[in-house]
Amino acid sequence: MTMDTAPFLNVRDVVMDFGGIRALDGISLEISRSEVKCIIGPNGCGKSTLFKVISGDLNPTSGQVSFAGETITGLSPQKICHRGIARKFQVPSVFDDLTVTENIEIAMTAASKHYTPFGLLRGGPDRSGYGAVLAESRLSEFGDKLASELPHGIRQQLEIALLVVTDAQLLLLDEPTAGMTEEETDAIVNLIKGVRDRLGVAVLVIEHDMSFVRKLGSKVVVMMKGAVLREGDYAAISEDAEIRRAYLGDVEPC
Amino acid sequence: MSRFSFPLTILFWVALAAAPLVLDGWNLGLLAQLMIYGIFAMSLAFIWGQGGLLCFGQSLFFGIGAYAMALTTKGMIPGVPAMTLTGLLLAMILPALAAGLLGLALFKGRGLVGAYFGIVTLSAAVIAERLATNWSYIGGFNGLLDIPPMRLGWGSWQIELYDPLPFFLVVLVAAIAAYLLLLKLERSAFGTVLRGTRDNETRAAFLGFETAEYKAAAFAVSGGVAGLAGALFAAQFAFVSPALLGFALATEVLIWVAIGGKEVLLAAFIGALAVKSVEKVLSDSLGQYWLLVLGLLFITAVVLLPRGLLAPFLRLTLPRALRRPEQATKHPTPEGRQGQNAP
Repeated sequence: MTMDTAPFLNVRDVVMDFGGIRALDGISLEISRSEVKCIIGPNGCGKSTLFKVISGDLNPTSGQVSFAGETITGLSPQKICHRGIARKFQVPSVFDDLTVTENIEIAMTAASKHYTPFGLLRGGPDRSGYGAVLAESRLSEFGDKLASELPHGIRQQLEIALLVVTDAQLLLLDEPTAGMTEEETDAIVNLIKGVRDRLGVAVLVIEHDMSFVRKLGSKVVVMMKGAVLREGDYAAISEDAEIRRAYLGDVEPC
Repeated sequence: MSRFSFPLTILFWVALAAAPLVLDGWNLGLLAQLMIYGIFAMSLAFIWGQGGLLCFGQSLFFGIGAYAMALTTKGMIPGVPAMTLTGLLLAMILPALAAGLLGLALFKGRGLVGAYFGIVTLSAAVIAERLATNWSYIGGFNGLLDIPPMRLGWGSWQIELYDPLPFFLVVLVAAIAAYLLLLKLERSAFGTVLRGTRDNETRAAFLGFETAEYKAAAFAVSGGVAGLAGALFAAQFAFVSPALLGFALATEVLIWVAIGGKEVLLAAFIGALAVKSVEKVLSDSLGQYWLLVLGLLFITAVVLLPRGLLAPFLRLTLPRALRRPEQATKHPTPEGRQGQNAP
C-alpha cells in the first residue's frame, strides 16, 4: 500500500455519543490528496461534530481517524494542526482586534513552526514576505484594516487564507459561504479550486448552499443521522430521489 | 494613534533624562521613586494590555524582587555573593520563574480565564504577604532594614550610589531598558501571537499554537520586570516589608495602568508618575478624601475611556510590515482584486 493510493484522511467507524445522544453513528469517510469533497445533510446530522472529531476538538467514543498514514485520534487540536489539518469554524473566527496583516503574521508564525515562544527568540517569520502573501490571498487592499472592520465575505476569506498560509495539507471548511452574496461565494469557489490546484491541498467542505456545491463540481457526501447516506457526483446526488426526500424535502427546523 | 505619538514618546524620555539639569537632589530622588513605580506599571501593562490577562496580584513579583535584592545584598542568601549585580539578577530571575510556573499551572489544560485568573493571582499575593509576615528569617512583620545602597563596578573601582543623581541615572537606564525590551517584544511576532491569543484564543490554538506557553512566557517577562522595579525600590528605601507583596500595592498599580492605558506601555508609565505625583499634592490638601478623587478617576477611566486617558495620545503606530507591507512585484494589484466587492 503506497502513500498515493492510501486515503489521505481516513475516518473509520467513528461513533460520538453525547450522554444518550448518538451524534455520529459509525461514520466512515475518505479523502485523497488534492481532493475536494462536500458534505451535505440536514441540521443535526453530525457534520460539525465530524469536523470537531477530525480536528481534535472532541475525542470520539469509538472509531479511528488517520491522516497521511498515521492515527491522529486523541491528539490535541494543536498536535493535529502540526500534522497539517486546519479547520475553519462555522462562525467566522479571525483575530478581530488585529490588522489583516497582523492576522497573516500569526499564520506565518504558525507556518514557521514557532508553536511555542522559545523558538521565536531566535527570530520570527520573515516580514518582508507578507506583501506577497496578502497579494496571493487577494487581501492587499485590506492590509491595515482591522479584521473586525472587514465586510463579512472578506472576513471569511481571511480565515481561509490564514489556514492556507499555515501550510495546511487538509482544510476543513465549515459553511464557508454562509451569509455571503453570490459574488462572494464565487470568490470562495475560486479560492478553494486555487489551493487545490496550486498547492495540492485537500479540502473537506460542509455546505448548505447547493449552487455552491454545483459550482465546486466536487464529490458530494450526504450525511444522515450521523452516518453517510450516499456518496457521488453532484449530478447523481441531486437526482437521487431518496436524498431529495431526506434532505431537500424534509429539512428539520434547526 | 495620533501622529504626534512618536515625537511625544521621544520628547518624554529626553525630558526625563534632562531632569537632573533642573531638579535638586531631593526632587530627583522623588522622581526616581516615581519612575520605579512606572517600571512596575509597565510590567502590568504588558501582561494585561498585550496578553489580556488581568493580574490582580502583580505586587507578588514586585515584592519577590524587593526581597531578593534585600536578602542578597545583605548577604543573607547562603552561597550567593552579596553584590548589587547578583541582587538585581536574582530579583529578576526569581519573580520571572515564579510568574512563569504559576502561569503554566494556571493556563495549561482548560486554563483559567477572566476574573478567575485575577482572583487566583490576588490570592497568591495575599498568601505571599502572609508568609512573609510569619517568616522570621526574612524579617517577619517588621521586614528588613538597612539594605545597603547599590554599588556598581568591580574590586577597588566601586561607586556607591548613595547620592540621588547616580541612583536616578541607574533608574533611568533601567526604565528605558525595560521600556525598550517590552516594546520590542510587543512589536515582534511574539507580541502579535500574544495579542492574537488575547483576542481569540481558540483560533490561535486551532492554528497550532500552544497558547498556554505563550501566555506563561509573557507572564514571566512581566514578572521579571516587576521584580526589577522591586529591587530598585528596596535599594532606594533601604527597607522592605510584607506590604510590598500584598493587596494594597497590587490595587494601586492596577489603577495607575487603567488610568494611563493598559495597551500602551508609556501611557501606563506616565499613569503611575501622574497618579503618584497628584497623590502627593492632593493627599496633603484633601487628606483621606484623596482616595475618593482617585476612585472617581478610576471609574471614569474604566467606564468612559476603557483604553485609558493617555493611551490615545501615545499609541505608536504598528511597524509598517504589519500595516502596509511592501507589495510583491510579481503580483500587480488589479489582478489581486478580482472577485471582491468591498462596499
